[in-house]
Amino acid sequence: MKLPRSLQGRLLVLVLGLVVGVWLATSVMTWIDVRHELDELLDSHLAQAAALLVVQQAREIEDDDHQLDAPTLHRYAPKVAFQVFHEGRLAMRSANAPARPMVESGVRFHTGFKTVQIDGTEWRVFAANGGERDVQVYVGEQVSSRASILWAVLRSTLWPMVVALPLLALAAWWAVYRGVAPLRRLGRTLAERQPHALHAVIVDGAPSEMAPMLDALNGLLERIAELMESERRFTADAAHELRTPIAAIRAQAQVAFGEADDALRRHALQATLKGCDRAARLVDQLLVLSRLEAGAAPAVTPLDLSALVRRTVAEVAPQAIEKQQTIELDAVEANWVQGDGTLLAVLVRNLVDNAIRYSPPHALVKVALARQQARVRLKIDDSGSGMTEQDMQRIGERFFRVIGSGQGGSGLGWSIVRRIAAVHRAEVRVGRSIDLGGLAVEVDWPAAS
Amino acid sequence: MRILLAEDDPLLGDGLRAGLRQLGFQVDWVRNGEAAERELRAEPYAAAVLDLGLPLKDGMDVLAAVRRAGVSLPVLVLTARDAVPERISGLDAGADDYVAKPVDLHELAARLRALVRRAHGQPQECLVVQDVVLDPAARSVQQAGVTVTLPAREFDLLHVLMLNAGRVLSREQLEQHLYSWGQEVESNAVEVHIHHLRRKLGTALIQTVRGVGYTLLRENPKP
Repeated sequence: MKLPRSLQGRLLVLVLGLVVGVWLATSVMTWIDVRHELDELLDSHLAQAAALLVVQQAREIEDDDHQLDAPTLHRYAPKVAFQVFHEGRLAMRSANAPARPMVESGVRFHTGFKTVQIDGTEWRVFAANGGERDVQVYVGEQVSSRASILWAVLRSTLWPMVVALPLLALAAWWAVYRGVAPLRRLGRTLAERQPHALHAVIVDGAPSEMAPMLDALNGLLERIAELMESERRFTADAAHELRTPIAAIRAQAQVAFGEADDALRRHALQATLKGCDRAARLVDQLLVLSRLEAGAAPAVTPLDLSALVRRTVAEVAPQAIEKQQTIELDAVEANWVQGDGTLLAVLVRNLVDNAIRYSPPHALVKVALARQQARVRLKIDDSGSGMTEQDMQRIGERFFRVIGSGQGGSGLGWSIVRRIAAVHRAEVRVGRSIDLGGLAVEVDWPAAS
Repeated sequence: MRILLAEDDPLLGDGLRAGLRQLGFQVDWVRNGEAAERELRAEPYAAAVLDLGLPLKDGMDVLAAVRRAGVSLPVLVLTARDAVPERISGLDAGADDYVAKPVDLHELAARLRALVRRAHGQPQECLVVQDVVLDPAARSVQQAGVTVTLPAREFDLLHVLMLNAGRVLSREQLEQHLYSWGQEVESNAVEVHIHHLRRKLGTALIQTVRGVGYTLLRENPKP
């Protein structure tokens, strides 16, 4: 059976079903019990009546040798009948008894109970033997009378039940209705909520059974609120980060407009272009980050990290040359890893770019890729001023910039590096470079077999 | 007019300095909050442009600190964060104006001029002392209705003296007002500029207070 979806309906069906079941079982047991007792009692009465007739017949049969109809003394009398046969002839019978023996026996007389059909009616008949006098006594009783007694007994148990059942249903319905009222209140509270209202849900008088659900709901709301807050902060921070390069572009363009001196105008125009590059780079970084944060799975293929690092270093080398820095690469052998080529190029580029950007002119930047057992390690050392312990702790926070670096970075690079490393199950470590004294960054990949 | 620019972004700082210079300001540029506070306490700037997201010390903290120290110069806050609560807290912390990035250079200059004018109790746009009218926006000077052409440095000197009309300014004070960092100041530069101004505007306008400095009287001294 399919239970209704409503809790109230479900409880009603269960409670009422159980009550009806118990009641039916009780009725059946009563029926069996009463019928048994009734049969015993009435059968014993039949036997008793037959015994009386036998005794009486023994006395009277000599005097009166003709058929006698006993008078009807009670309205139930038609339901009971008796016959007395003497030497095969009917000697005495009740008014409603037939002339033939109630029990047709092909054999001789017999003694005992038997249920027979007489003129379409069922009778319970007790046959008794009169002994040597050759007397046969039959006492019968309509079976339907027993049934009507049984029904009367059952009716007395049925009626209270019939009255009680609707009352019980009503009471159960009311109790459940009251019981689930906090649920309805919760439903209303949630329905009336503004989509941005993420404070905890409080339901007055909530039963303890609802507490786990409410706790879980409030926990979820809290997490959603945190997520939304971090998204909101990110959007706001991103917008603000874009404003500074745009302001720089605008200011430099205006300077170029108003500048009469050629050299100064050129300088301003170059600064304008630089500002555009920076804004574009920031937008790229934001896009990469948002893609990474959206949780899109990277397209992983086996790739030679050495080739990738060589390409990337070649791309950024001009920046180092411009700053009169020396950049060295040590990645001779092919090192295969599983990864997304585009993302890994972004990671390597960010790290090498940072080393160049945050190291002073004439600094040395070393990029090395080597296999160590089952891992491939990329190491980027620079001879710049490094970072304080506190700064090392904080890098990777979005928009965190090392103070006083004099560089117009967005602070997004590290967030991106960490994300890309995470989706490749690579580890990033930042420390002081033992060789060069500046910053040392290590990235460890599991090597592809 | 000498102003302090506190901005950590190299491109923006460079652009603002160049732009404000074009518009007649002497600009000193600092890139962190601690330097901004130090300079604001030490030098007599006419106004300051302060970015809020400064390294080492937040712009808001710098502002609160210099206000506590009794520095009353007009401060224009230039920031990427322009939500209303941030504007309110900025103004409450002692900012005189609040401008969101990106800003038009001409608007920035006009706002700075207005701030300086109001700080000197001048409600009108043009400064008027005796028969001399100085228009800071157009950088023009008229005497008795006749336009007088002045080179930048002389204009700035006259501007400072007119803003402080009635007060005596020492030669050092005038130098500080006229020159930003890295500009070479010749030992008698102020005297030379005063001499030129007197030749163009008449000797009666600028008074010398011997051993103290120079002043410009509001009213023409009765002969």
